[in-house]
Amino acid sequence: MKADLLVDAKGLACPLPIVRTKKGMDTLQSGQVLEIHVTDKGAKNDLSAWAKSAGHEMIDMVEEGDVLKFWIRKA
Amino acid sequence: MKKRVAIIAANGGLFDAYKVFNIATAAAATEAEVAIFFTFEGLNLIHKEAYQQLPLPEGKEQIQQGFAQANVPSIPELVGMAQEMGVKFIACQMTMDVMGLTKEHFVDGIDVGGAVTFLDFAKDADITLTF
Repeated sequence: MKADLLVDAKGLACPLPIVRTKKGMDTLQSGQVLEIHVTDKGAKNDLSAWAKSAGHEMIDMVEEGDVLKFWIRKA
Repeated sequence: MKKRVAIIAANGGLFDAYKVFNIATAAAATEAEVAIFFTFEGLNLIHKEAYQQLPLPEGKEQIQQGFAQANVPSIPELVGMAQEMGVKFIACQMTMDVMGLTKEHFVDGIDVGGAVTFLDFAKDADITLTF
């Protein structure tokens, strides 16, 4: 999937993946897609909750080994 | 309208600091307006020297290693991050007077206020937490 920006938050613990995601999202325009890579297992639920709470659309999530990849479209 | 999160930090250990600043930064990253009222031992969490080496609970000293292994950010890093995202810090004037502390003892960018300063912010809060 094509993303407008990639945030690499691998190896970072809570709350950094969310903080990095927010900062990345702040640089995008409405409708653009942010791709996020994390290894923090808590981020699976956290990023979904974050997207929901901010009104963004969680397009997809895949697990590749230890890495979780998310694609979120900005509201 | 933005969600508002009001936090009271009344304890001064390392665990307390993580509870306070993780919730505060996560809330700020979720576009909430966040203020923390630091009172009594809670003042340690923003004290320029104390916050660099906050105590672990007795008998839990070995957990220090766990923090490093889990790649958890340090408290000064979290404090900087929280401030950068607009989290408001209010230090309790009364406690500062009792402990002989002035604004210069604390990280930059804090407000000093009384209970009413915090209550005024908290009265419209969606979430209020005490640690």
